[in-house]
Amino acid sequence: MSLWHRVRMFCRKPHNLILAFLFVALIVLTFLPLLSIVLDTFTVHTSEVMRIRGSHAGDWTLYHWRKVLLDGENSMAIFYKPLWNTVLISLATCAIAIGFGGTMAWLITRSNIRFKGFLSAIFVVPYIMPSWTLALAWLNFFRNSLVGGVPGLFTVLTGIPTPNWFAYGFLPISIVQGLHYAPFAYILIGGILKNMDANLEEAAQLLHATRWQILRRITLPMVKPAILSTFLLAFSSSMSAFAVPAFLGAPVRYHVLTTQLFRTLQGLNPGYGYLMALILILIGVGIMLINQKVLDNRKSYTTITGKSSNISLFNLRALRTPLSYGLGFLLTCVTIIPLITFAVESFIVEPGNYSWSNFSTVFWVGEGATDIANGEPGVLRNRSIYNGLYNSLVLSVLCAFFAGTIGILAGYAIVRKKGTWLSNAVNHLTFFPYLIPSMAFGAIYLSMFALPRGPIPALYGTFSVLVLIGTVKYLPFATKAGVNSMLQLGGEIEEAGIIMGIPWWKRMVRIIMPIQKTSILSGYLLPYISCMRELSLFILLISPSSAVLTTMLFQYNEKGWNQYANAINLLIVLVVLLSNWIINKLTGASIDKGIG
Amino acid sequence: MPKIVLKNITKKFGSKSAAVENLNLVIEDRSFITLLGPSGCGKTTTLRMIAGLETPTSGEITINDEVVFSSEKGIDVPPEKRGVGFLFQNYALWPHMTVYENITFGLENLKWEKEKIKARAAELMDMLKIGEYAGRYPSELSGGQQQRVAIARTLATGPKTLFMDEPLSNLDAKLRMEMRTELKRLHLETDSTFVYVTHDQLEAMTLSTKICLLKQGQLQQYAAPLTVYHEPANSFVADFIGSPNINLLPVVVEKAEKEKSLLKLGDTQLHFAYAGETSEIASGSQLILGVRPENVLLSETEGDFTAKVYSTLPSGMETVVRLEMNGIMLTAVVFGGVDFAVNQPVKIGFKGDQHHLFSMGDAGTKLASGSLRK
Repeated sequence: MSLWHRVRMFCRKPHNLILAFLFVALIVLTFLPLLSIVLDTFTVHTSEVMRIRGSHAGDWTLYHWRKVLLDGENSMAIFYKPLWNTVLISLATCAIAIGFGGTMAWLITRSNIRFKGFLSAIFVVPYIMPSWTLALAWLNFFRNSLVGGVPGLFTVLTGIPTPNWFAYGFLPISIVQGLHYAPFAYILIGGILKNMDANLEEAAQLLHATRWQILRRITLPMVKPAILSTFLLAFSSSMSAFAVPAFLGAPVRYHVLTTQLFRTLQGLNPGYGYLMALILILIGVGIMLINQKVLDNRKSYTTITGKSSNISLFNLRALRTPLSYGLGFLLTCVTIIPLITFAVESFIVEPGNYSWSNFSTVFWVGEGATDIANGEPGVLRNRSIYNGLYNSLVLSVLCAFFAGTIGILAGYAIVRKKGTWLSNAVNHLTFFPYLIPSMAFGAIYLSMFALPRGPIPALYGTFSVLVLIGTVKYLPFATKAGVNSMLQLGGEIEEAGIIMGIPWWKRMVRIIMPIQKTSILSGYLLPYISCMRELSLFILLISPSSAVLTTMLFQYNEKGWNQYANAINLLIVLVVLLSNWIINKLTGASIDKGIG
Repeated sequence: MPKIVLKNITKKFGSKSAAVENLNLVIEDRSFITLLGPSGCGKTTTLRMIAGLETPTSGEITINDEVVFSSEKGIDVPPEKRGVGFLFQNYALWPHMTVYENITFGLENLKWEKEKIKARAAELMDMLKIGEYAGRYPSELSGGQQQRVAIARTLATGPKTLFMDEPLSNLDAKLRMEMRTELKRLHLETDSTFVYVTHDQLEAMTLSTKICLLKQGQLQQYAAPLTVYHEPANSFVADFIGSPNINLLPVVVEKAEKEKSLLKLGDTQLHFAYAGETSEIASGSQLILGVRPENVLLSETEGDFTAKVYSTLPSGMETVVRLEMNGIMLTAVVFGGVDFAVNQPVKIGFKGDQHHLFSMGDAGTKLASGSLRK
């Protein structure tokens, strides 16, 4: 067959065209930026000319590599200490997430604890809320006056000053992130426990194994892959988390890689930052490779497809009531009280004074007075906050629209051409942004689009660059949703239409999309909510006009304008929860169902 | 009227060995062809290639003398322009459309007039006895009803060729029997060509005018069902067709002559008299003797050879008896319900002249047919 015929036949199939287009676009948007960041670690940047003697901007240099990795005390402070902190925090986060989430999963699926529906629903709320919600709540409660500023609610109410190690740094960061990722563990481990064939445990029971033996020898080995998977996911997520360590670590100069990355890129050493971004990416890729190995091995547990309808539940006996109420109370504290503190804090004029006379609506509806926060008007009358809210909503809708739509088309094309070279390549490329920590991804786009490149103009500071990076970053979620729904659907449903001569767009719109509307909508929902609560991805790329709510929250917090930060945070949480609730009611899709 | 011709069709998936290799096939107009073979033999791939859902690696396909695929000329007519209908294994009904919408969607797409569509749908639903379900969704129907809807949808646009990919495999045994008779009637009523994929040899035997038996992408035999049954081209075909399976027994040729040969089966000597065409058979060669179970005569008193009953499986209409003859296991079928005691000695003989000699090894080519005596 001649080449011309081949090309013509290739182009006649829509899925081929989609794959070819995505292949080129993703190479430009994910792979080339990575190359650009590698080059940036070897380049002298304008702000570094003074420090690197006799150099000119754009020169080739090993300065950054030497300074970050090999410069004794200096490297220790810039890189090795933050790296060590990152690893410690990630490990502690995983331990808390798996311990808490795993126990919860076992209690819900295997014991006779009360209020299962309520506990299960409230347990996943911290995951739906932005990760820093609990961090800000922690600050509201436990901040002390040792590092300047006013003490939090706890000290005011009890008179006990909180020590630094309790208020800031390692401990609160690990606890807050652990609570945030515990639903991860709960959903993954609980899913396996729920679907695990009860006969496996019953068979052991008939052989006179004790409850404890069954748990240790049968149940735990079965959920081991899920535990490992949770571990790797939570580890890589907390490693690339920025907001929580920024809020809880900065007051005591407790740094992790991401906060260090932010400092250096914002400061005079972008070269250091790019190098750290590169290292973050390498660790992320390494973890994902391990995760894939683990997932591959999971295929051996094919027995997990039974129905566990009437397994006898573990009787908690005397512990049942106290444990049920205790857990209910604790989870309520973790999810609802933070919201109350945000509201309370946003109404207090003089921070730290919780007397009734100090309450005021000035930060919500005030016109702005020179003695309060440089004349910044109240949140509800504040132009720039409305602008941020508008930007956030528009950005989320656009990113969700692009990522979701491309995700469906990509999923469709990948599944139709399954097994071919091009399909595999595109599948991997769409997954690629998932491997890159958000902050590093932001750094990449900063480096890539600061200057015009080829046909693409300089995008730094524009709204388009935010839409672009959001779309690419959330493409993995959307593509995964697309691939899954197409795999579920199978090819024959569409082929029945092909045979009848129904054109491609009509097959998509009239057959495929209506059937898979729930999973397709979740392909839109995930990017929407992720984008709504995203901070680290955008923080390096915004300009005053393109600021979104999350980046404004961060800036207000940095300035110490507590009331504004709390008010904005409340806004974000409410928008996120409301969106999730509306979409869940309308379509049945929910963010906690699409984890992973 | 459509006649389908496949010339040297080869399909390779990736760099693996061919799924279909150099297949040549002529499907006559108005015939009912089954593509039969074990799973993974390439039968579904072949069907999908004719329909245009899969692209062959090389070769040429013509439907009604029009070339619809040719690797050399770079022709690949898309499925909807080949004028064929396709019935899928899992029916592929659109779950979000009612029975009526499923049937009429294709017609709407062809821009038929409303009245005509209505009339056509009514006609089809009447023919397939699904009129009362018009407003239901596929999930509200039983497997058999879904199957009927799928058939109606496929027939709606009036294709002259109907392709079916294991359409009955998801139905229970009783429904399957019922649908088989319906399909056979449908074939006559619609006056069209059916190409049918199955792995069930009984289905192929009972339905088709011609069976195309495939193994690992290669055509084994293409002939009428009874020809395939009585004159299998090789030991694979003999083994695949027929239930219970044919007895395939290892024999050694003691003495080969022009008209007959003397075989040794274990310690038993057998005289094999050739009937019809015979290939060269040499003394001393090791061969496979094929004997259909119904050609093994079983009696308590009369017969050429002695054997022992190993087990008896009566099923009412017939009884399958496993026998042991000097250490060799043998299957026989007796009409009616007979129950032999285990280890009971019996006499056996071989009737008719449709016993076969096959060569050893993978090819298992048929060398001779004939009768067996003491």
